[in-house]
Amino acid sequence: MATERIAFLAQMVEVLTSTVSFGERLNNMVHLLARHLKVDLALYFGLDKAQETLILNLSSQGPVPPHLRLEFPLGRGLAGEVAKTRKIKIVQRSQPGVLAANRALEKLHPAFVTLAGFPVADDNFFYGVLILVDRQEHTFTPTDRLNIQLASLMLAGTLRQALLQEEAKKRIAELSVLFEVGKALSSTVELDVLLERVVTTTAKVISARGAALQIIDGITKAVRVSSQYGEIPLSCPAPPDILAAPLPPGELPHLQGQETNASGQTHYFLAVPLTFKGQLQGTICVYDKFAPTGDYLPFDPENRQLLHTMAGLIVNAIENALTFKQVESLAEKNERMVRNLTILQIISRALLTTVQEGRLLEIILQGLTLEQGLGFDRAVVFMVDEANQALKGVKGAQRTAELRNLPLYEALLTPLAEEVKVEDLEIPLRHDQGPLALTVLQKRPQHMHGAPPGEPPALALPPGFAAPDFFAVPLVVKDRATGVIMVDNGASGRPLEEEPLHVLQMFSTQAGLVVENAHLYSTIEANNRELLLIRERMLESDRLAALSSLASGMAHEIRNPLVSIGGFARRIAKLVEGNSPLRGYVEVIQEEVTRLEKLLREILDFTGENLSFYGDHDLNKLLADTLMLVQRDLDACRINVVKDFSSLPRLHCDDRQIKQVFYNLFQNACQAMQHGGTLTIRTYPLEREDGLYLAAAITDTGGGIPLEVLHNIFNPFFSTKDYGTGLGLAIAQRIVSRHYGQVEVNNELGKGVTFIVSLPVAKYCLVKEPGRGPVPASAYKLRKEEGDDQKNPGG
Amino acid sequence: MTKKILVADDEMSIRLLYSEELKEEGYEVYLAANGREALEIVDKVPLDLVILDIKMPEMNGIEALRQIKEKQPDLPVLLSTAYGEYRQDFATWASDEYLVKSSDLEDLKSAVKRYLKE
Repeated sequence: MATERIAFLAQMVEVLTSTVSFGERLNNMVHLLARHLKVDLALYFGLDKAQETLILNLSSQGPVPPHLRLEFPLGRGLAGEVAKTRKIKIVQRSQPGVLAANRALEKLHPAFVTLAGFPVADDNFFYGVLILVDRQEHTFTPTDRLNIQLASLMLAGTLRQALLQEEAKKRIAELSVLFEVGKALSSTVELDVLLERVVTTTAKVISARGAALQIIDGITKAVRVSSQYGEIPLSCPAPPDILAAPLPPGELPHLQGQETNASGQTHYFLAVPLTFKGQLQGTICVYDKFAPTGDYLPFDPENRQLLHTMAGLIVNAIENALTFKQVESLAEKNERMVRNLTILQIISRALLTTVQEGRLLEIILQGLTLEQGLGFDRAVVFMVDEANQALKGVKGAQRTAELRNLPLYEALLTPLAEEVKVEDLEIPLRHDQGPLALTVLQKRPQHMHGAPPGEPPALALPPGFAAPDFFAVPLVVKDRATGVIMVDNGASGRPLEEEPLHVLQMFSTQAGLVVENAHLYSTIEANNRELLLIRERMLESDRLAALSSLASGMAHEIRNPLVSIGGFARRIAKLVEGNSPLRGYVEVIQEEVTRLEKLLREILDFTGENLSFYGDHDLNKLLADTLMLVQRDLDACRINVVKDFSSLPRLHCDDRQIKQVFYNLFQNACQAMQHGGTLTIRTYPLEREDGLYLAAAITDTGGGIPLEVLHNIFNPFFSTKDYGTGLGLAIAQRIVSRHYGQVEVNNELGKGVTFIVSLPVAKYCLVKEPGRGPVPASAYKLRKEEGDDQKNPGG
Repeated sequence: MTKKILVADDEMSIRLLYSEELKEEGYEVYLAANGREALEIVDKVPLDLVILDIKMPEMNGIEALRQIKEKQPDLPVLLSTAYGEYRQDFATWASDEYLVKSSDLEDLKSAVKRYLKE
């Protein structure tokens, strides 16, 4: 007996420590036990996880087919009773109630007589019940019972190991799944790519045929993003539906179900919610688990657990991606804003270069249409005509690619390449005259999208002028709309984007101001010019009137005695002998009288209008000719002459008069340098706002003009000299101003004085064409030719 | 027959100069210090030529010219003046010649000769 028992236990230990699978080990153990005890059947019923049902797992006769997987609720049948009491119990078929309670066992052993139940447990855990079945009445000796208990312990140990191993495997599998998921989720921050990976990985990990994800706005319920993978037989449940689904207490929210379609195919789904920190809500849903047979299977709690775990990871990854996207778009927005502000700053800088309205408008239009500026296809400026209560087209420009390679600042200062003709456009300022008029009247920007085809008359623009999508912004200065800027992308058909429009609105304030300022400036400038001109004319006519009366009075008073003196001197000369010393005296008298009479004629020349002889002359030659006239005086005073002549265009002038100017100036210089000195004559071209001038600077080293007389030097009859008319400079100035030129004095007390005579090259320099600014010097040649065609009335 | 010339000028020195020069040329010279005196002489003496200054006291040369031409339209009258600027206007005053005074009397003498057809 003892030997037999040792052999049995040895066999059991051998099975227990064998390397075969746990299932096989358990089967072998049950089989060994039945053989050793010489019973017909040994069965093992395991208690399920819910601890409610005992299910037949092992039989000494081999694997249990599914239809024979007998079940006993806890407390029912022998298995149930033993599981409940955790005590050994042996019953006979004949005992009352035994057959009724254990009838299910007849499926395995129709003629069972003895049933013996042993609990299978270790120190910590109850696993199930071992039931021994035999056709005879069977008593179990104490040794048998001991053996059975030992075998039960081994069974328990093996079961424990199997459970632990299965648990460990599951955990490892889960971990590797999570690792895979984590890897997939952290591989990208691109939201679209991420969502695609999420659904793909989820479907694969859960072994589902399809997976879908959607994220909605919790408040508007609008779908923000969604993604799908594989076969999606049913719609993805919305997050609120999942959260509303009834669930047993303690279970995480999910929605699980099945639906059979028209063709009889049953589809399964499992959805869990994605809970974000903000107002976003989401769902991840998997469909139809793969079965090795190709069937569709429902999802089990393990899958659910995994999906929940994954949901947590997914939420984090999506939140990261969303944050990243947000940060990225913020950074992009910032970058665009900085770019736009830079553009505005550069335009502002360019606007500071001029106060001319025309130029300012060009810069504004360049800024709006340049690619490196705000980049609109077309921009038009309208200004309010207060008198006519209308908006008038002023200037328009079209986008060109020509300047795209220039830096913005330089491109802004380049004249417009493609102007849009808008000067004929006029819109009455009434509310029924369309968006442009409204922009002014309401002092608010107007954005027109797709004007209906019937509307053009209301736009008050020619048909086809306005693009279907355009934007108009008012130029407001001191709460008064002075004009409108209209922009569109009609040529390319691109939509008008928010941002350039926003920048345009920021820009319009400045544009309005600079245009208004230019307007004021030009008004002030015109007024100023007119005032100056009037003042000059008045001064000159006053001066001339005084001079005329004085001169003619003097002429009369002086001429009579002169005529007498001279006349009698001539008479005396006739009477005086040729060799008489008186003859010389009389001749002196005659000469002096002649000189004085000549002087008188000069005065009368000055007061009366002389005939002019205009022509084109070389200023350098006029100076050289005049120098020859005074050469004797210069030599007499030992004055050194320095000529610094530039090459100059020809000058339209009366050469006789201009020579007179220089003659007078040279005479003055001689007077100032009676004890020697240097006379420097320099000629050079001079660009002024109203055209090209030629200048002659005549510098002496005569010590300069005393301050107390400086202001008088151009006054007629003023002279510091003991002789002379005092008309030299007055005559010079008179002649120069008749030529529309200027005489300037640069006085350096103690050194000398420089007279700068500047004369306009062309005779029409001061005749400005209406509506145009001063003509730039570069246009000189053209205008010169135009001037030559017209005969000067004086010449 | 000796030609008779009237010289009217408020300046004594001019009168003296002109009369000396004209006498030397062989004319008979009458003198007046203003327009009124000149008219008196024109009434009394059958003259061949009158030389009038413009600016004179009591009656100026322009007025005298008008009255002389009223009385004797054929009597040549020369204006001799210190003013250069009225040259343009003398024709409207119906004078025959406008001479600006000069110490060189050649212009005057040649004009006189011209009018006296010598």
